[in-house]
Amino acid sequence: MDRALASVLQERFGATLLAPVRQRFDETEIRVSIADAIPTLRALHDEPNFAFEMLIDLCGVDTGEEMQIVYHLSSSTTGDWLRVIVPGVDRSAPRVNSLVSLWPGAEWMEREAYDMFGIIFEGNRDLRRIYMPDDYLSHPLRKDFYLADDASRSPAAGVRNMERAGTPADATRATALRKSSGA
Amino acid sequence: MTTQQTRPSLDDPRIAIPSTSEWYEPAPTAQTERQAEFLNLRDGEMFINMGPQHPSTHGVLRIVVKVNGEQVVDLDPVLGYLHRGVEKLCENADYHQAICYTDPLEYVASLFCEAAPVAAFEKLMDVEVPRRAQYIRVLTMELNRIASHTLFQGWMALDLGGITPILWSFIERDEIVDMLAALTGQKLLYNYYRIGGVNGDLNHEFMSRLGNWMSRAAAQIDSNTGLMNENELFVRRTRGLGTLDQATALRMGVTGPNLRATGVPFDLRRDHPYLVYPELEFNVPTRDEGDSLARYMVRIDEIRESIRIIDQVLHEMPDGPVMAKLPRLIRPRPGRAFGAVEGPRGAYGVYAISDGTDQPFRMRIHDPSFVHLQLVGPLTRGNLIADTMAVMASLDPVMGGVDK
Repeated sequence: MDRALASVLQERFGATLLAPVRQRFDETEIRVSIADAIPTLRALHDEPNFAFEMLIDLCGVDTGEEMQIVYHLSSSTTGDWLRVIVPGVDRSAPRVNSLVSLWPGAEWMEREAYDMFGIIFEGNRDLRRIYMPDDYLSHPLRKDFYLADDASRSPAAGVRNMERAGTPADATRATALRKSSGA
Repeated sequence: MTTQQTRPSLDDPRIAIPSTSEWYEPAPTAQTERQAEFLNLRDGEMFINMGPQHPSTHGVLRIVVKVNGEQVVDLDPVLGYLHRGVEKLCENADYHQAICYTDPLEYVASLFCEAAPVAAFEKLMDVEVPRRAQYIRVLTMELNRIASHTLFQGWMALDLGGITPILWSFIERDEIVDMLAALTGQKLLYNYYRIGGVNGDLNHEFMSRLGNWMSRAAAQIDSNTGLMNENELFVRRTRGLGTLDQATALRMGVTGPNLRATGVPFDLRRDHPYLVYPELEFNVPTRDEGDSLARYMVRIDEIRESIRIIDQVLHEMPDGPVMAKLPRLIRPRPGRAFGAVEGPRGAYGVYAISDGTDQPFRMRIHDPSFVHLQLVGPLTRGNLIADTMAVMASLDPVMGGVDK
C-alpha cells in the first residue's frame, strides 16, 4: 500500500474527488464525476509525479441502480494499482466520454462495454457490437438481463436470479433487480 | 412391377434455382464512421474473407481483409465466434464455480486464468495463502508458462510455413502437460487453485517427472530454439516485420512479452509483486527492436528465466499446509478487489465486486489477447496478406480469451 500516493492524489484532485481516496492491499481507488473523468485521466497520464502510462483495464459495471465505468491504471512510479471509478452514469441512457483520444487501445474495451451494457462512449469512432451479432437487441451483462435456462425446476428455484421459478419470459419481466452495496 | 418415380428429374421446371444475386448476402451497411471508411472500396481494392475456420487463426477468428492486389490496405477482425458469456455465468455461480468457468478462457495456459480470479477473491476474503501453497502456485505457473511459450514457438513456425518445429515443441509441452496431469488430474483445464491455497499437495509422480525433465530441460530447449534461431529463412522473414514502437505499445495498452519486445521492462511479477515472486531472483528480458523476431526472442528468453525460477522454488519450498482455513461457503463482505497476474501473453486481471452473497456481483475478466488483437490491423497495413498471419502469430493471441 502506497500511503504517499493517497496524499498526493488527495492534494492534487481534492476538489474533484467524489469520495476520499480509499486504499486496500495494493489498490488505490478514487471516484470522479463523468465530466471530470477524462481531464483527471489525462492529468494522471501526463504529470510526471503520477505517470500512469498504462491502461490495464476499462470496464462497465451495472450496480442495479446506476452504471459505472471503472479504469485500472498502472505506473512505474508506484507499485499500487490505481482504480478510477466514474459512478452515476444514468442506467436508462448511459453516455460518457470516450478514452480513445488518450489510449487508442481503449477502443475495443469500450466496444465491449457498449455491447454488454449499452453504454455510449462519445468520441469512439467504431462503437458497434463486438461479441454479439449486429442484429442482437439486448445488452447481456445488465442486471435486468436474466439467464434463461431450465434451472427453474431445481430445488434452489427462486433463490438466485438464474434459478427463479417460472419461464424465462417471466424472469425478464421480474422487477426485483440484484443491487450491490459493494460497487 | 415398377415403383412410382418420386424424385423430380434434373430438368424439372418446378425446381427453382435462385439467381446468383440471391446467393450472396448484401453488403453490410456501415454503423459507424470507421466502418464506413472500411467499407468504402477504392479503385482496384477488394475484400477477402479470412476465417473463421482458418488453420492459422489460433482459434475461431474471422478477419475481413481489404486488399489491393497482394497488399493489405485495411482489415477488420470479426470476433464473437467463441463468446460464451463467461462474465455473466460467473455472476450466476458461486465463488468456487466461478474459478472453473475461467479455466477454458485460455486453454493454452489455463493456470493463469485461474490465478487471477483466485487472487481477486482472496483479496475480497482477506485471506493469507500458506507459503507452501504460494510456492506450489509459482512452480505450476512457471511450468505452464514454459508449456505455453514452447507451443508458441511451434505455432509461429507453422504459421510461417515450417512444419517441423511444432513437432519438437510438443515434446516439451506433452511432458509438462503430463506432469501437471499427474498433479491436478487434468491435462489442460486444471482447476487446481482454490481460494486460500491449492487442491492437493505435490505428489510423487509429479516430482519424479519434474526431476527427470529438469535434468534435460535447458539442453532440450536450446536444441529446439537452434532449429529456428539459426534458420535464415525464419530470421529474415520475421526481422523488421510488424514493428511496434514503444510509445504506440504503451498507448495501445499492450502488456507482457509484446510490450517487453519494445524495450519496456514491465512485468507484473516485478512491478506489482504477488505470491513469493519478490523473494525469487530472475531477470525481465527485453528487446529494443519491437518486431516479430524480437517478440519471439523475448519469449525464448523467458523460458530460460522460468527454468531458473523453478530451480529456486524447488530448493526453497517450505513444508506446511497447502490450504488456509476457510469456510466451505464463501461470502466475502461487500467490496471490490482487483487481482492480476503476469501470464505468458500479458496481464490477466480480474475485477471482482462482492455484494455479501455467495456469488460475485460482477466479475470483469481482462484478457491480454483481446487487447493485442487490436494491433493486427495497424501492424499489417501495407504488408502482404501472408504477413497478416505472421504478425498475428508473433502477437500470440488465444481466441478463447479474446472472446470470453
